[in-house]
Amino acid sequence: MNRGPGPHLWIDRVVKRYGSFTALDGVSLTASRGELLTLLGPSGCGKTTLLRIIAGFLQPDAGQVSLAGRGLNGVPPNARNLGMVFQNYAIFPHLSVAENVAYGLRARGIASSEIVRRVAEALARVRLAQFADRFPDALSGGQKQRVGLARAMVIEPELLLLDEPLSNLDAKLRIEMRQEIRLMQRELGITTVYVTHDQEEALAISDRIAVMDRGRILQVGTPREIYEQPTHAFVADFIGGCNWFEGTVSNGELRLAAGPRLACSAAPQTARLALRWEDLRPARETDPPQSCLAARVAMVSYLGHRVRLHLRACQDDTEIHADLPSHGELHMEGTTALFAFDPQRARVFASDGTRLL
Amino acid sequence: MRRAPALPPGGVLARLDPWPLLGAAALLVVLVFVAWPLSELALESFIGQESQHFGFENYATFFASSYFRRALFNSLTIGALGTIIALCIGVPLAFAYARYDFPGRDTIEVAILLSMLSPPFIGAYAWIMMFGRSGWVSEFARDLGIELPPIYGAFGISIACAFGLYPLAFLVVRSGLARVNRSLEEAAYSLGRGRLGVMFTITLPLVLPALLTAALLVFLGVVSDFGTPGILGEGERFPVLATLAYSLYLSEIGAEPGMAATTCMILLAITFVLVLGVRFLSGRRSVASDTASDLTLRPLSGGKRWAMTSGVALLVLTANVPTIVVVVSSFLEVRGAVFQPVFTLANYRNAMVAMGNALWNSLMLATIALALIIAVGGSAGYYISRRSGLLPRALDLLIMVPFVVPGTVIGIGYATVFNEPPLLLTGTYAIIAIVYVIRRLPYMTRSCAAIVFQIDRALEDASLSLGRPPLAGFRRIVLPLMRPGMVAGAAIAWVEVFSELSASIVLYTGPTRTLPIAAYQQAATGDFGMAAAYSTLLVGIAAIGLFIFLFAARGRRDRVVGWI
Repeated sequence: MNRGPGPHLWIDRVVKRYGSFTALDGVSLTASRGELLTLLGPSGCGKTTLLRIIAGFLQPDAGQVSLAGRGLNGVPPNARNLGMVFQNYAIFPHLSVAENVAYGLRARGIASSEIVRRVAEALARVRLAQFADRFPDALSGGQKQRVGLARAMVIEPELLLLDEPLSNLDAKLRIEMRQEIRLMQRELGITTVYVTHDQEEALAISDRIAVMDRGRILQVGTPREIYEQPTHAFVADFIGGCNWFEGTVSNGELRLAAGPRLACSAAPQTARLALRWEDLRPARETDPPQSCLAARVAMVSYLGHRVRLHLRACQDDTEIHADLPSHGELHMEGTTALFAFDPQRARVFASDGTRLL
Repeated sequence: MRRAPALPPGGVLARLDPWPLLGAAALLVVLVFVAWPLSELALESFIGQESQHFGFENYATFFASSYFRRALFNSLTIGALGTIIALCIGVPLAFAYARYDFPGRDTIEVAILLSMLSPPFIGAYAWIMMFGRSGWVSEFARDLGIELPPIYGAFGISIACAFGLYPLAFLVVRSGLARVNRSLEEAAYSLGRGRLGVMFTITLPLVLPALLTAALLVFLGVVSDFGTPGILGEGERFPVLATLAYSLYLSEIGAEPGMAATTCMILLAITFVLVLGVRFLSGRRSVASDTASDLTLRPLSGGKRWAMTSGVALLVLTANVPTIVVVVSSFLEVRGAVFQPVFTLANYRNAMVAMGNALWNSLMLATIALALIIAVGGSAGYYISRRSGLLPRALDLLIMVPFVVPGTVIGIGYATVFNEPPLLLTGTYAIIAIVYVIRRLPYMTRSCAAIVFQIDRALEDASLSLGRPPLAGFRRIVLPLMRPGMVAGAAIAWVEVFSELSASIVLYTGPTRTLPIAAYQQAATGDFGMAAAYSTLLVGIAAIGLFIFLFAARGRRDRVVGWI
């Protein structure tokens, strides 16, 4: 077993093509032991393909996957010692809960007394001890996914793969389950690759996130880095809500069509400014006029913990959202108001999506 | 304190994927036993019966002869008439079962399936017993001064076939109706259409593919049937293609194998044109709804419920009359061709004496064939449904071909190809077992492919990722889940195999005679008492087998679990 330095999971320039469609375009990624790494992206971005290559269900056309210092190319999925949790649970319907959990242990020829002990331990950990003899059709979706977790973890895998494990559960259960998964993963120290298209889930659960789009990894970083310092327009747009302002850079200044200006030392070009919805607020008298813009309130949505204003910039009709504390001042639909932002919170991207500022 | 993880075994067995190999073996088998005999027949049909030259001579002879043309016309007539009658019974039943709840549903459904048990030719001479020249209904009517129209010929054959085949129409249309999303009809009602308007603008167009399929299957069943026209057509008087091909091939006065092959090809051409036609017509109307259909049944108010029950029961009872007549009359005394109202076991005593080893042959051959059908059909169904590529597609196509090829045609094809080395099989038990397997493999393969299609692929992925090699995963996960589909397929295959007549009658020799052949021969030569006894045995044993399978299909999950 690899306990030395170097990554536990090492993905090196993996390529996967389907005919003329490139599902993975030279993806490289590492995960260190005990880390929870999330692959985040829209459907079709290649995250599930990458997960299935790691699992061994697909063979890469080029590139290498290694785990604990062992090359995995050509190793069949059943000889990789990975635990996998599936989106639709994939609980064997004709086996009891306990037999489901025991399935992988039996494949490894472990003594039955130890199997009984480890199954009981795993079921207790996912709080399903009293369901051991039930059949899956008597379980709820959340319980089924707990069986899936116990089944994957009980074999003490080198790597745990989770393929959108919560997307078939309802909203409240999703939040509960993701905390449970995270706590269990930390406690057991299992290196985990987690696939999801839900950005909030990714932020909440991950040590690091790899944001994918069209077969490429655009940015890898901690949740905070991904949210606060997106290096690519796609990342900024995909995670959280962003207002986009068109503008041009010239003479060390970015001028937005909607009005505001800010310093920018890049070469003259067209550029886009991204501003989180929560970073726009009603202007105060002390705000410098170049960070302010006038907008008409088109609609007000009350969301409980905040109020979302749907705005139109007076100058060029840009669509803007502003999330304000719900206890703040009232805005009437149809009125016009002045809004301001802190230039420190604004991110500027070139037209090809790369970060300028 | 981490335990050193136990690694799953990673040897050669863990990597072996046996499916392509098994698939290739299966393809070889169907090439030899489906493609070869049929292409040999096709070739032979172009070799002139007189001149021995390659060309259309036989086809010219066929269409020049008024007798041959009549056989073609007769086949098409009974096909069309039989289809109409079977649909008239099956479609209303399907609507009743797909939409309404009424008392006695389940009981009557068993009766519907029971009518599938008896092959149409058994019904055929029940009709003769009742409506034949000296049948008791005809005699009774004659006593009243009414001369009933003759049962022999097109009308009788169509009715006898339809009464045996309507369950097919019922099953197909019913499942078609179940797939039609009920909310489409509700949408039409809400848009202001009346009940009839909805029926004609929404429901019927949506079940049209199912109706077409049902019509096709019944038509093929009627046209391929050998026994019914053999008995009700009185031999040469009402020739159809299936009986014509048989007598041309086996005629005691100068067999004409070339003309037999030509007749087979014409029968086959009708079949394929219809299959392709139906595929073309229904392929352009995809009615698959992506949302789950609402399967709740409409409750009926008091009076209507019982009206529905009596209507359905009457329809099903009528269709079962021939079988009931056969079973009852097998216990009646026969004088000449007339049954007396005296109960006796004499028919069975006579039948046992004349039986030889027909019963034993049937039991043995059908059991062996069924075992092969389960093994080959189960694995082929899995392979076809799970793998993509040329090999599985070719296998799928070739396995399904015998589903639409009339038994007589397959029988003559086998007799032509396997009567000389390298594969000298004529006269053996093996050739009958093989023809049973090949003819009924499509049921099993389809039934298994359908159920595998419903088994989530992720289950196999899960099994793999937990460390089981593909074959072990198949045995422990897929096979137990396939069981219901396999049992259903096997149940149908058993009934069909046990009563198979049209191919085996071409291929049997004295020692390899089977029960259906014995029953047919007695019915054709007019010993009604013994024919009734044989037929009752046939239907009875088929039914016992069916119920054993259905019993085995009932949930035994506890045992499956203990088996791991």
